[in-house]
Amino acid sequence: MTIEHHPEEATLTAYAVGALDLGQRVAVATHLAACPRCRGWTRAMERVGGAFVADSPPVAMAADALARTLARLDAPAPAADAAGRETADAPIELPKFVRGYDFGRWRWVAPRIRMRPIHLPEASPTRVFLLKSAPGATIFAHAHTALEMTCVLRGAFHHEGGRYGPGDFDLGDETVSHQPRVESESECLCLIAMQGELRWSGFWGRLAQPFVRL
Amino acid sequence: MIQIARRVVSQDMSAHFAVLDLPAAPALRRWSELRMSVERPAGQAAEDWAARIAAIANRQDREAFAELFRHFAPRVKGFLRRNGASDAQAEEIAQEAMLTIWRKAQLFDPAASGAATWIFTIARNLRIDAIRREKRGGGLRVEEVEAEYEIDATPTPDAQIVAAQSEASVRGALDALPDDQLKVIQLSYFEERSHGEIAQALQIPLGTVKSRLRLAMKRLRSELEAER
Repeated sequence: MTIEHHPEEATLTAYAVGALDLGQRVAVATHLAACPRCRGWTRAMERVGGAFVADSPPVAMAADALARTLARLDAPAPAADAAGRETADAPIELPKFVRGYDFGRWRWVAPRIRMRPIHLPEASPTRVFLLKSAPGATIFAHAHTALEMTCVLRGAFHHEGGRYGPGDFDLGDETVSHQPRVESESECLCLIAMQGELRWSGFWGRLAQPFVRL
Repeated sequence: MIQIARRVVSQDMSAHFAVLDLPAAPALRRWSELRMSVERPAGQAAEDWAARIAAIANRQDREAFAELFRHFAPRVKGFLRRNGASDAQAEEIAQEAMLTIWRKAQLFDPAASGAATWIFTIARNLRIDAIRREKRGGGLRVEEVEAEYEIDATPTPDAQIVAAQSEASVRGALDALPDDQLKVIQLSYFEERSHGEIAQALQIPLGTVKSRLRLAMKRLRSELEAER
């Protein structure tokens, strides 16, 4: 399995410095779980962050800051929540923390296409969901009103940008209008992080528009 | 040092950028100059922060902690102020970051990252948590953010293109960047300015900000791969 489509360096850098919202971070982390190359870049950007911290012009701390912190050293660390709860049927390709989120129910989107929302633990401008498409399905031609990140978990689809298989990452924005087609061999499961709304085009898309809010 | 003092972040954005634009206070100085400007206690291996973290892990060494605090807390605070945090928030996060160093010292792996990089990730996570708490209230729950940055993947060394970088080689790569490219990286990712704000501050068209940032990223990647 070779990953051919990666997030841009800028996206990974924004991830590394904590500038992405949670929904986008979920999409990038899903790609990172599959992609050592991008994990390497992300780690390098954390080192750049370290260099910026090390060379930051110091700003004086409060006069009693050290004393107050020293006084807190012996206090027990707050007990961490016993994490580890996972949604039983969450795809194993997702990072562990995502598998711990609440998943909604599978919902009909269009013929041969289903979606399942992933409920983030905080309000995020980006919504995250799984999209499952039957073999050979064509997803409506659509455009985006804002950023859309897609990471393939299983199967593959094609659009003008090429073939997207497991681990591949696709970024759509208002300048992109495309019509993905799922390969005929097996169904395709993707994680999608979407800001704004989809704009459907084409006959089926316009027909579905009033009913479907992805 | 005068230049550093003049670079203290102003709450007022335009004033801040006015400072940035002064020829006497360049927006970014070379890493080597910045490093020379850091005062070090005479006769002390001031750079060996990893050993001090190990001393905390091994024997709860309070003196080592105090030294780490005196060095890093003001830098973490300065870093956060540049990133737009208020003085109170930067102060709080810097203190929490130092407390986290104490509590998690045994998790620090010097083979995986340098001390400053580890401290950067601690501060980043605390800042995300602070922003989250502003939205939904509640106490410190930074372990959630930590989990969000834990990618459970098995390392595959041959494919890790730039993972083996040391902090020194990352500095080398940054130093090799042209000034204007380094500046857009700093403003965009370490001061979190929008492209529009950067265009205004540097007096260049918006499209140039985007293309320069892209160029800077490509150059950084090739420098990092060359340094390997």
